[in-house]
Amino acid sequence: MKALLPRASASARSRLAGAGLIVIAAALVAALVLASVAIGYAAFDVPSAMADLLAGRTTLPALVLWELRIPRALLGALVGFSLGLTGAVLQGYLRNPLADPGILGISSAAALGAVMVFYGGLAGSLSLALPLGGIAGAALAALGINLLAARGTGTLGLILAGVGLSSLAGALTALALNLAPNSYAALEIVFWLMGSLADRSMDHVWLCLPLMGLGWILMLSTARALDALALGEDTAASLGFDLVSVRLRIVTGAALAVGSGVAVSGAVGFVGLVVPHLVRPLVGSRPGASLWPSGLLGAALVLGADIAIRLLPSRPELKLGVITALVGAPFLIGLLFRRQGRT
Amino acid sequence: MSNRARIRVGAVSLMVLLLGAGLAGAGAGDAEGRPARVVSMNLCADELLLRLADREQIAAVSYLARDPRGSNVAEQAEGLPRTRGLSEEVIALKPDLIIAGAFTTRATVALLKRIGFPPLEIGVPADFDGMRGQIRMVAAALGHPERGEAMIAELDARLAEAMQWAGTPRLRALVMRPNAFTVAPGSLGDAVLTAAGLINVAAEIGQDRTGQVSLEAAALADVDLVILDEGARGAPSLADALLRHPVLAELRRQGRTVSVPNRLWTCPGPQVAEVVTRLVAAARARTSLR
Repeated sequence: MKALLPRASASARSRLAGAGLIVIAAALVAALVLASVAIGYAAFDVPSAMADLLAGRTTLPALVLWELRIPRALLGALVGFSLGLTGAVLQGYLRNPLADPGILGISSAAALGAVMVFYGGLAGSLSLALPLGGIAGAALAALGINLLAARGTGTLGLILAGVGLSSLAGALTALALNLAPNSYAALEIVFWLMGSLADRSMDHVWLCLPLMGLGWILMLSTARALDALALGEDTAASLGFDLVSVRLRIVTGAALAVGSGVAVSGAVGFVGLVVPHLVRPLVGSRPGASLWPSGLLGAALVLGADIAIRLLPSRPELKLGVITALVGAPFLIGLLFRRQGRT
Repeated sequence: MSNRARIRVGAVSLMVLLLGAGLAGAGAGDAEGRPARVVSMNLCADELLLRLADREQIAAVSYLARDPRGSNVAEQAEGLPRTRGLSEEVIALKPDLIIAGAFTTRATVALLKRIGFPPLEIGVPADFDGMRGQIRMVAAALGHPERGEAMIAELDARLAEAMQWAGTPRLRALVMRPNAFTVAPGSLGDAVLTAAGLINVAAEIGQDRTGQVSLEAAALADVDLVILDEGARGAPSLADALLRHPVLAELRRQGRTVSVPNRLWTCPGPQVAEVVTRLVAAARARTSLR
């Protein structure tokens, strides 16, 4: 099957460049994770806190390191990788450069689930009520889209189903907020949806890490199919790819990665939309080759934005989604202008 | 001015006049000049009204007065009419004295002023003296100044009783309310901490302009007593979620937290002394543990 795909020396060279890019991006992410752990609102001796932590001493600095700094840095990387990867997969699969992780309606469904479980008081005083609700919402949405996808709806049908699901989930969220016993619910959720990694804990990491990992594996397994799909669905099918299985893996993987991301951090916009466009000129136009670099660059972008939030003097801190949108939107407009100039 | 505009202006002024007349026609108090139909539109005003006035003087209290989670006078408020502070509700009660908060129901207060019936507005006292002044002012307006003095005497006696036990060395304390709001230096809450012999850590770690502290700074400040409200939970809110963070759970495990219901020190009244009593007791327990 591999031998059937067109190969040329140019593609081999771009594959090498891709590997180099992955190494550089991974190093960047690692550096930003360390920076994110070191930067915060109160100064303390991070290395000695790390020593306390490793020795099992529950000093206050060790506590802050383990329950505030490290989870914040890890979640930034996890959420960013999920967004970048999902954006690249969906843009490749839908063959639409405007596809972003929210396009299947999963972010909206996750928000709906979070609101219903949390404000409905279904989870009592469970501290993870909100993320668990978000994950439940995303899971239900993925089930619905998969039922559609399994019936063989085309990519256009998938996008339309996503748009419909987004609007429905948005309307139901508004309804749930109206009925919520807490009169500040709408206000809180508006802010929560802008995305933030402030004051999360290790519990959030343990909650989303396995789900995201599974989602990444499912999506990364479609890399070769995405390359084939660039030649059209019929060609891909004739090359022996089971398109229904590809679709199921992509929808389920996106739901797991984005759903658990929204559940722990709210909606962080523009990362999944912009990052694949940044990566594509560097790896050539094979969608499969852009997956790892997009994920890593997404992680770097979210980590960078989250560090910037803490360095900026504005208090209470700006929301993560605000920063990524402020950077992402002008970039997108610039991209469209350049494209028009070219054609 | 066009005819139609003139008619509109006329209609509006007539309405305003009628509203004003509705209020002016209300009973002008009893023989001793005391107001006979008092409406309060704010929880703190409710508490003072219910404690200082005769029950027959009260025309209505705010809808918050009967909620025991926030109100110290929920039982006394039972059976009294309630309003949500809407102009229509308040005017229909034909009050001869309206007590409003300086920061709440602003639209209604503005309308009442416009029709020539300014409410008595009570602000947020910044210290014990401000609190005493506010109690005196409301008691005088209700025609019961002696009850105000009695309330102040009770407060002062309970404060003196609590403060004699305030310990040395002075412990470090930080108030963490929902959304990590703290008690800023120069507020009544700060005065309460000082009275209990505590050092308000908020002064040294700083807060942003809305009075929030970061959880990180709060944890690293080596606070002896983190003061939380762990009482009856209300409707679920993200603001409360922060107070269940593992960092605070660990501080609780180390015995560094003390729970004080927020309702005890939201409004002026003798119950504020109760906060001082509880904080002094917590500080003594903590000192003996160390």
